[in-house]
Amino acid sequence: MNNAAEKKLALSHLWVAFAAFIVACFMGEYQVLERSGLFPSLESPTVYFASVSTHGVLMAFVLTTFFIMGFGYYIASTSLKQPVWNKPLAWGGFWLALFGVVLAAVPLLSGKASVLYTFYPPIVAHAAFYIGATLLVVGSWVWCAIMLVMFSQWKKANPGQNVPLAMFATAANALLWLWASAGVALEVLFQLIPFSLGWIDTIDPGLAKTLFAWTLHPIVYFWLIPTYTAFYVFVPKQAGGFLFSDEMARLAFVVLVVFALPIGFHHLYMDPEQAKGWKLLHGVGTFVVALPTLVTGFTVIASLEIAGRLRGGKGLFGWIGTLPWTNPMVLAVILALLMLIFGGFGGIVNASYAMNAMIHNTAWVPGHFHLIFAGTTVIMYLAVAYYLWPILVGKPLFSNSMALVQLWTWFIGMSVLTTPWHVLGLLGQPRRISTVVYNNLLTLSWKPYELMMILGGLILLGSACLFIYNLAKTQLTPLVGEFTAEIEYAEPIHAVGVLPEYLNDLKLWNKVIAILMAISFGYPILQFFFMKTFGSSVWGY
Amino acid sequence: MEQITEEERKSILESSPVGTFALMATVVGGMVFAWLFLYYGVFLPRG
Repeated sequence: MNNAAEKKLALSHLWVAFAAFIVACFMGEYQVLERSGLFPSLESPTVYFASVSTHGVLMAFVLTTFFIMGFGYYIASTSLKQPVWNKPLAWGGFWLALFGVVLAAVPLLSGKASVLYTFYPPIVAHAAFYIGATLLVVGSWVWCAIMLVMFSQWKKANPGQNVPLAMFATAANALLWLWASAGVALEVLFQLIPFSLGWIDTIDPGLAKTLFAWTLHPIVYFWLIPTYTAFYVFVPKQAGGFLFSDEMARLAFVVLVVFALPIGFHHLYMDPEQAKGWKLLHGVGTFVVALPTLVTGFTVIASLEIAGRLRGGKGLFGWIGTLPWTNPMVLAVILALLMLIFGGFGGIVNASYAMNAMIHNTAWVPGHFHLIFAGTTVIMYLAVAYYLWPILVGKPLFSNSMALVQLWTWFIGMSVLTTPWHVLGLLGQPRRISTVVYNNLLTLSWKPYELMMILGGLILLGSACLFIYNLAKTQLTPLVGEFTAEIEYAEPIHAVGVLPEYLNDLKLWNKVIAILMAISFGYPILQFFFMKTFGSSVWGY
Repeated sequence: MEQITEEERKSILESSPVGTFALMATVVGGMVFAWLFLYYGVFLPRG
């Protein structure tokens, strides 16, 4: 299949993603240096919060969105064996999203949007930040539409056949993102943009945080689903084995998409605007969404076990040693799962209604989400890049051993960075502070951990530079001789028969999501329109 | 990488992933223990 146009589309998205990534890595290291208080010349709350805001936006919104779009286009085209539908529209979405990023970058870098990546009001940024972020999201909606159209067209053209697992997961993620982004879209369009433009004088932070909570948890799964997709569709083949169960993978994606959405209030456990019953409901849902992660862990490890045994591994754990640890994808999944265990544990503590009080808004929280996101999620983005780059540019990877060193150092750096971060949270260090120099016994006890974080950040920065260098050299080094590589999807151990529609389509789950969202967010949002707001309407008009 | 016979290959593909069950049980057990330690050992003593 000649898919040069799809390769160019995917590669363009991925380069934007990784350009954002490397810039954000430099900012991250600056932030741990500044916050440590050891370098007085670096200290500046203004620069610090501009940097933290830009770092968060680049990592959480730009790296992820562009990676997911580029990865999704290539998955759709290769798994369905058809061209991307409406490529001019896809490029339109790319340029719109990129324009949005540039527009948002101006106030971010000039200190006029130091509102952090959650941009909770009543702190307010320059309107260009919100408008730019909106354009980025609209660009991603274009991607969602194309994925769902391709999914639907393929099903119509192939009645009775199973949608390839990779495409099922990608379409499920598109559906998830359409639902997830609706909350923040309402907040930005009706509250933040009018407020930042001075069209309204007041704003209701309770409503804004409720709408953001609608988005804030499922967005994590929007980022994570490509990682899980790689777990299921690439890793078993790269390890030399088979996928343990195609059906369990689909079930995991369905439960992820359905239950990632109605659970956002665990971010509001300490907030006054929602009653405790609603928080408990969302808290229970949060534990439900842990199940597909357990299923994923089981299925992926079982697939690795089969591969290890096929390579001669014996005994209860002897198969671990026979896995191809020199394959970047296999190494990355092992490291990703290790980080998922510890990050997942941190998440369970966050979600525990009572214990959350101990770590709420402390350094534990960024420690947790860096381990899950920058650890588990991003390490698989890096592994996918190592796998896809030779295919996309038609040249062998510049250095496999450099890729292995890079993945190990990313894992080590992330462990050295996030372990003290968690400890600092338990020691009471608040999150989102620009300095810890108060010279009392409590803050002095934080010092060794701050030093460790500087080291962790340095290791990560070096690792990120190696990654970019390897990709750039792969692309820029002239090709000597012939090279061809095609994407290879893992086969399940047992051939999959005709699947029931609930594991082969998303229509039913879309309706289930609508019902669950109405139950879990209906009254909590409507209440703002019923309660007295003392001289202002709920939107602030 | 050790070569395996066709019979061994078939047996591997049909066998239960016992190593995975053991690993998962260890991880889940470890998480439960760590959660209980944090709850009873750190959270409750803080009052």
